[in-house]
Amino acid sequence: MDSLHAIGFYVSAALAGAGGILTAFLGGHWRRGLALALTGLGVAGIYASLSAGFAAVVVLICFVAAGALVAKPDYRSVEQAAGAVWRQLGAVGAALLFIGLAYAAFRGQLAHAIFYGGPFGAVSVGRLLFAHDGVATDAIGGLVLVALVGAALAWRRERPRDERETRR
Amino acid sequence: MTVTLVSVLFVSAALTAIGAFIAAWKRELTAALCGLPVMFAGAGTAFVGVARFGAASGAPLLGQEMAVLLAVAALSAVALGVGLAGRESPR
Repeated sequence: MDSLHAIGFYVSAALAGAGGILTAFLGGHWRRGLALALTGLGVAGIYASLSAGFAAVVVLICFVAAGALVAKPDYRSVEQAAGAVWRQLGAVGAALLFIGLAYAAFRGQLAHAIFYGGPFGAVSVGRLLFAHDGVATDAIGGLVLVALVGAALAWRRERPRDERETRR
Repeated sequence: MTVTLVSVLFVSAALTAIGAFIAAWKRELTAALCGLPVMFAGAGTAFVGVARFGAASGAPLLGQEMAVLLAVAALSAVALGVGLAGRESPR
């Protein structure tokens, strides 16, 4: 991997990390959605610098769509019932998770292989998705269908009471 | 300056931990849902890194395929979660 790709990788990693931290600490729908899209930009940059251009495009679209959903201004805010102590314990657990994963990455006896794929890989990934692992792709497609139907049903709004009574 | 599998796994661990932190820290449900795609992106980064640096045999782009599927699954989970959270209470 040349220096340009390495610089792109580290800059993108910093962007993704900063976007994630901003998502955690920014308030407001719009800012949170924007921070999520920024995280997606960083993750897409990481994928692109690792010769996974097709995955980068898909992940960028998915993150921007998720950011747009989160930035939607008119959804009801639902507060979780967990108290401050449990939230702090969760934060400590996330730090422990990072320490454990980083330790495993440093201490692991990792194999190294030469990569022969191209920079984008859309044809190869498409062949894997639709020919080699068609069942997994069908399963994810079914999951997306169920989630979108569920979201559409949940989004369906009741007509206001005064409007309903007027129509009667 | 170079990139190795260890540095990719380190970034992946950081993204996963940040996603877990968002999910645990945010009080509002839809804000906590934002942690889900970040966690999935961390897992996807590990898959892509292994596909780039460590896949010696088999299908070398299997990790990229997993990253694509994870991103789509994360988006559908966020859509469902925001839809359920945005549902108006019965009048």
